[in-house]
Amino acid sequence: MSGDGRLLGFWYVLPYLIGLLVFTAIPFLGSLYLSFTDYRLMQGASFIGLENYADILTSDRTFTRSFNVTMLYVLITVPLKLAFALFIAGILNSKLKGIGFFRTAYYVPSILGGSIAVAVLWRYMFADTGLINMVLTSIGFEAINWFGNPGTALFTITLLRLWQFGSAMVIFLAALQSIDKSLYEAAAIDGAKPWRAFFAITLPLLTPVIFFNLIMQMVQAFQEFNGPYIITQGGPLKSTYLLPLYIYEMAFKKFDMGYASAIAWVLFAVIMVLTLIAFWSSKHWVYYAGDKRS
Amino acid sequence: MTKKSILAALSLSLAASVVATSVASAADLRMSWWGGDGRHVATQKALDYCTTKTGHKVKPEFMGFEGYLEKLTTQMAGSTEADIVQVDWPWLFQFSKDGGGFADLKQFAGELDLTQWNDSQLAPAIIDGKLNGVPVSVTGATYYFNDEIYKKAGLETPKSWEDMAAAAKKLNPDGIYPFDSSRVILMLMVEAFAAQISGKEFVKPGTNELDWTAEDIAGALKHYQWMVDNGIVRSAKDVAGVGNVEIFDDPAWGSGKIGGTFFWDSTYSKYDDPLKVGSLVPAAPLKIEGAKFDGVYKKPSMVFAISKHSKDPKASAQVINCLLNDKDAILILGDSRGLPASAIGKSTLEGAGKLTPERLNGAKIVADATGPVMSPLIEHPSVQEVFKDVIEQFAYGQLTAEEAGEEMVDDLGRALRRL
Repeated sequence: MSGDGRLLGFWYVLPYLIGLLVFTAIPFLGSLYLSFTDYRLMQGASFIGLENYADILTSDRTFTRSFNVTMLYVLITVPLKLAFALFIAGILNSKLKGIGFFRTAYYVPSILGGSIAVAVLWRYMFADTGLINMVLTSIGFEAINWFGNPGTALFTITLLRLWQFGSAMVIFLAALQSIDKSLYEAAAIDGAKPWRAFFAITLPLLTPVIFFNLIMQMVQAFQEFNGPYIITQGGPLKSTYLLPLYIYEMAFKKFDMGYASAIAWVLFAVIMVLTLIAFWSSKHWVYYAGDKRS
Repeated sequence: MTKKSILAALSLSLAASVVATSVASAADLRMSWWGGDGRHVATQKALDYCTTKTGHKVKPEFMGFEGYLEKLTTQMAGSTEADIVQVDWPWLFQFSKDGGGFADLKQFAGELDLTQWNDSQLAPAIIDGKLNGVPVSVTGATYYFNDEIYKKAGLETPKSWEDMAAAAKKLNPDGIYPFDSSRVILMLMVEAFAAQISGKEFVKPGTNELDWTAEDIAGALKHYQWMVDNGIVRSAKDVAGVGNVEIFDDPAWGSGKIGGTFFWDSTYSKYDDPLKVGSLVPAAPLKIEGAKFDGVYKKPSMVFAISKHSKDPKASAQVINCLLNDKDAILILGDSRGLPASAIGKSTLEGAGKLTPERLNGAKIVADATGPVMSPLIEHPSVQEVFKDVIEQFAYGQLTAEEAGEEMVDDLGRALRRL
């Protein structure tokens, strides 16, 4: 390619690069700088070194509570969502009549799921006199105080996230369809039952996709905001007070931008460490095409 | 190009600049406010009227209360706030600590008739000698009851807490609570009880130093617990079961399952409009045992301020003057922002019979009641978070009243020192 041609390519990507620089890179680095200051909106900023980080990690009880709730939320949500997405992908991989419709229908919640309107709908469904309790009482069970109980409040937020399994499901579905059918035929000839075939063929061949979905879903779960903000406002007793909600309230209710930036960077560090652990562990459980391991 | 065409072009340019100059005298302004649908409609109509009256076009920017402060703060930080800004009074002290956060309205006395407010009305908005805003209305937190619920049960609306406990015995079997104290309202009530017990404002006047003791707060919380134990209000757990909704959006409120609540009188419509059963009537403040005064907080409910970055503050002052002091605009706005603070605003609405007895009685009860001077610090987000968290822990039985009192004193002290 001539020099002019290369320059042309650069011009094509320039709008994206400008967007990346202005809307991502500069705010990203700006927040890192702010995390070392006591900057409050409407007031000046002074450099205070690691003071924000020291406060967060040693004396901020709200952070500790919020961090624990966030970890619990991620630990429950991510495996459940992956398992559910794989289960549905398995069903949608079969040759049923009108399967295209079902595949689309199951993807719809992922398009709607993160929206404010669905979070509001969720709030009405799980309210004390909502649809879920109406169904429960109509079949003889007692109504449950979903939002008033710290244990069940987090469960309702988790369900909202689980409901948005579509994107993970589509990726699983594509991976399932790429598995060579002759492997199953060979296993069947050898007398393998479907469960044995699933664990010996399907699951190992899906591990790269499971790994990809694990990372993506984990990052998304750590960023969950709409559900707790709309449905419970982090309550009761901060049982649904996830870290993004804490960052938002610190930044836009108390206007303590320096401290909020520091919490955001702690969250970033947590996500990064867990991602690195996942990458390190992947050597032991992820099998790629052409892998020589037995 | 011929000489003729050059002359024609010059003439056209000259004419265009004359037109441009005449248009420039009519400013293009922005105005931001929060409120409900009724206020949004009335304000836009009033702005249309004021555009014909003053010649200034005003672009409206409106939303609900939730999120308004966050939006305004980011706008203020970026100097992009509207020319005319509706501000909750305590926020003035966050945005304008030295009085320089907004335009000094005394500078525009020629455009804005400040004689419509007396000195005591303007005083709360004066910071460091600068008038940061004009009060739109004055408000206070007091008790309102749904008369229909009490009438149906053959009861008078309560005049004491003992009446309330007696009403609970009669109403509870039908699934009705005589009163409600959910979320923000609970916080407001605990603050009012603590003020009644202590006889003091929560900070020492002019300082950031807490003036309530742990015993004052514990006493307030014990009274709240007494209300729950006697079926006067729902427990915090039951209130949380509805989800993150305010009482006026709670189906139990609209359907007449709750007999009354405690709120700022300027927000009457917000609570009365959703009622499908009965209507709200104001009541004199209920005092808890040992109360030293009524404990009714009063404050300017909101102020209209002018951005210090406004390109045309004089035009903005003219628009505010039109909205609050022009008889026709006053009639269009009606009581969408409560009982007007401006003298001409109040007299115009009264003369036109636009103020309901409930509105007038509520305002009179607030005006007659005794209570502490409202410190803007009590509405600071950091202070409110402490109230909310500790009250919730007490309500869920994680802290005793005494422990909650101690914790609140510690946490409030810390929060106040950081402000």
